[in-house]
Amino acid sequence: MLECNEIMKTYGRKTAVDHVSLKLEPGRIYAMLGPNGSGKTTLMKMAVGLVKPNSGEFLYNGNPVGRESRREIAYMSTEPYFYGWMTAGDVGRYYGDFFEDFSMERYLYLLDRMELTPEMKAKALSSGMMAKLKIAVTMARKARVYLLDEPLNGIDLLARDVIIRSVLEECADDVALVISSHLVDELERVVDTAIFMKEGRLAMMGDIEELRMRQGKSVVDLYREIYGHGGEETC
Amino acid sequence: MLKLMKYEFRKTMFSKMILLAITAVFEALFLAGIFLDWENGIVFGVMGLVLCTFIGIFYIGLESLLVFHRDLNTKQSYMLFLTPRNSYQILGAKVLENGISLFLAGCFFIVLAAADYTVAVVRLGGFKELLDMVEAFLTMIQIEVDITVVDSVVAVLEVLALWLMTIVTGALAIVLSATVLAGKRFSGLVSFLIFMLITWGCNTLINHIPELSTMTFTYLVQALAALLLTVVMYVVSGWVMERKLSV
Repeated sequence: MLECNEIMKTYGRKTAVDHVSLKLEPGRIYAMLGPNGSGKTTLMKMAVGLVKPNSGEFLYNGNPVGRESRREIAYMSTEPYFYGWMTAGDVGRYYGDFFEDFSMERYLYLLDRMELTPEMKAKALSSGMMAKLKIAVTMARKARVYLLDEPLNGIDLLARDVIIRSVLEECADDVALVISSHLVDELERVVDTAIFMKEGRLAMMGDIEELRMRQGKSVVDLYREIYGHGGEETC
Repeated sequence: MLKLMKYEFRKTMFSKMILLAITAVFEALFLAGIFLDWENGIVFGVMGLVLCTFIGIFYIGLESLLVFHRDLNTKQSYMLFLTPRNSYQILGAKVLENGISLFLAGCFFIVLAAADYTVAVVRLGGFKELLDMVEAFLTMIQIEVDITVVDSVVAVLEVLALWLMTIVTGALAIVLSATVLAGKRFSGLVSFLIFMLITWGCNTLINHIPELSTMTFTYLVQALAALLLTVVMYVVSGWVMERKLSV
């Protein structure tokens, strides 16, 4: 479905993503894990063509990602990116204008569930409310791939449940979902596959159940092992 | 493309409203001067309207480049580059919207000037004088229609083509600054120098077109050359954006 081959991206002398190859399959929920600067965001941005790789390629259904793949891949950035003049309603109309898979009905439903209204000015929202708005507009699309970069950042405990529920509602056999987060324990409950990124490289990727069976460790244990003491050996 | 253009227009709507509001103030001043026989009102009104015309049209062109710079260098870029549109469409929508805005602003100020002139003539000189003036104008057109009108149209076309070329040159410099020069020291200065260099090169090229049988024909060829250079820079900018731009 969505795959990258030996993809690499550098910013000056810093290598953000270092020859990563992976393949995402439909019907699965992926947790992309790793500390700040591990390459998660850059990898996601390359998947939608926002960032151009130095070498390697990202393919969607066998074709390089670009204009066509963006029709079916929904990406939620961790940073706010709406125009300053927009209200929540304008954001929905904008998505409706550009994405055929966008449902205004579902968007309004999600806004209501997130306790937001279409009249709210996007630039006046708190970081938590902005995160909810981004989730609402992204999940109101009927995409084939969802890439959610830190969707739980700045969100209180109760709102996290609402967001996770809204995200999981879009799971289907033909849909792949990738969620990056630092909140490993929260993700462990809902995802099938873990992708561990470390210093721009793919440290480990596998089915959570298989990892548990094979290594006898939870995702949280593996996270500690990879990024904490003993991480060097694992990589 | 139309949807992209709609949002490009929306981005610059606020400044256009401000320009319209300031123009309305000077227009009111001018009309008050005319109808209340207030000389200072007429003087300040006319001065303000002339300034609004030139600064307004200049700013509309400049703002398009400021918006483009912001669209490439802030997170708002995601609003454009996450849509299922390619770089040629995104850049094309910006250039077209700006060209149309400039054209409409030009038409607006020409119509306003004509209307104000008519009001002034009727009010200060009477209706008969207006009719005399129209008659004189029509006579002049009849005599010089072959030269004046065609020349005027070609001159306007050339100004529009040269201005469009300058805008696309600016866009190319911004694209280079955000791509091949990104992260390098003095990238802003270097891209500005590139802009100056390309502008100088294009103008030199256009000015070196030899004089043809008539001046009108020469202007027409110069305008076409400017449009051709505009298309070349647009294609180069789009090509660089497609392959190199990371936002």
